[in-house]
Amino acid sequence: MSDQGPVPAGTPQLKSLNCPNCGATLTLRTFGQAVTVVCAGCHSILDAQDPRLKILQTFQVATGEDRPLIPLGTRGTIRGTKYEAIGFQRRSIRVDGIPYSWHEYVLFNPYQGFRYLTEYDGHWNDTSPLRSLPSLGRVGNTLTYLGETYQHFQTANATTSFVLGEFPWQVRVGESVEVSDYVSPPRVISSEKTGNEVTWSMGEYIAGRDLWKAFQLAGDAPAPIGVFENQPSPLRANVRTTWTMVTVFLTLLVALAVAVYSTARDEPVFEDSYSYNTNVRGEASFVTDMFELKGHTSDVVLTTSADVDNNWIYLNYALINEDTGHAYDFGREVSYYHGHDADGSWSEGGQKDSVTLPSVAPGHYYLRIEPESDPHHGNISYRVALRRDVPQIGFFWLGGLLLLIPALLISWRSMNFEHLRWAESDYGGAPSASFLGAVESAVSSVKDSMDGGDE
Amino acid sequence: MIRSFFLIYGIAVLAGVSFAEYRGWSLNRVDEVPNVPKSVRDNPGSYRSVYGYYHHYTGGK
Repeated sequence: MSDQGPVPAGTPQLKSLNCPNCGATLTLRTFGQAVTVVCAGCHSILDAQDPRLKILQTFQVATGEDRPLIPLGTRGTIRGTKYEAIGFQRRSIRVDGIPYSWHEYVLFNPYQGFRYLTEYDGHWNDTSPLRSLPSLGRVGNTLTYLGETYQHFQTANATTSFVLGEFPWQVRVGESVEVSDYVSPPRVISSEKTGNEVTWSMGEYIAGRDLWKAFQLAGDAPAPIGVFENQPSPLRANVRTTWTMVTVFLTLLVALAVAVYSTARDEPVFEDSYSYNTNVRGEASFVTDMFELKGHTSDVVLTTSADVDNNWIYLNYALINEDTGHAYDFGREVSYYHGHDADGSWSEGGQKDSVTLPSVAPGHYYLRIEPESDPHHGNISYRVALRRDVPQIGFFWLGGLLLLIPALLISWRSMNFEHLRWAESDYGGAPSASFLGAVESAVSSVKDSMDGGDE
Repeated sequence: MIRSFFLIYGIAVLAGVSFAEYRGWSLNRVDEVPNVPKSVRDNPGSYRSVYGYYHHYTGGK
């Protein structure tokens, strides 16, 4: 919307007449282009084409029952053209026994003709008639117009329940038309069917505050309630951007994993074999030879392999820094059981176990090892091996998860927005509101962006 | 806005993963005991592990 653009030359001349029913002064703003005019005093609908203003219909309402938010006679600039609000009507539909009403404003410019604004619960649409017919989709719930596909949203019988001002058609209170809406946010295409006649119009969602600015109305536009059928999702661009960024960062994470795995030293620092005789009583603990952890502080992976077979060995370990007296104290069990029963063969455990000790400083170390097992199992051989600076795959999975969480949250919020939109439709839920639909949409966004999108 | 947020967030995640890998962090936790006497090396039995007297699984199916 802009203040620039063509403006009708001179001030339009108003024509004043009197209502033949109540004598109130009528103001005609459309230079004879209106077909009907409604008296603001007695609400008689008059034939604006008849010099005597023949009364077409009278309806009883309290004056000011439904006051237009944009007062008739107010001028505002829409898409560079100055329009004047000349007509106002309320239309209602009934869904599951519940009446829903919206308001329509007729705008007029002597050079551009008529334009319409619709308002429902603070949601506004700038509407104008279609210049060519849309083509209906094969299954009937979509239509295509100028290469864009519109999804059927709702069909209902709309009844005019209040009118005021001038109209370029034979308006009547109580007249009903079948209205169908097809949406492709921020646009909606509506058809109005009366008998064999179908008229098509296209609406584009417009923020109330922009209209208030365009018509220089006092105060603030009423805050929109809920999600409207063609309201653009404020999260749609965010979903696309976020998934594009996630793709970039996941790629960088994979590159980082490749770099870490190719540069990590994964260095063997100690390895030795031992044997534990469970039949021998006495002190079982012993210490290993000294070994050195070089380089920077890094993790140390201790692997225990034992020839257990239907038995177990438990090893109390302490990795002790000879220089500082700092010890890492932990215990590991290696157990392996297997056999056959009525269900077939089974096994539990294994003959190997690994544990990672985090952030071990460089220095001279030794291991204190104290084996335990059931008595009378005999000799159990086991092997202990230590490696330092071993890459941890878990951090890459965690990093990937952390990158995905915000994208999934934003996608979920976007899905929720669509769910709220489609909850008001004839279908009661978004056609693509399923999880698979969301994933499909996300994949499509990423694909679009990789195909040279502007994100 | 969202682009800036995610740029900072993504860099922070990558930096965190890199730092964790470099410093050898682990998702495991191990008890650490300070000031273990040097005499342990000569008398291993004098050290008592906090994991001693563990109740071992001795079952099988």
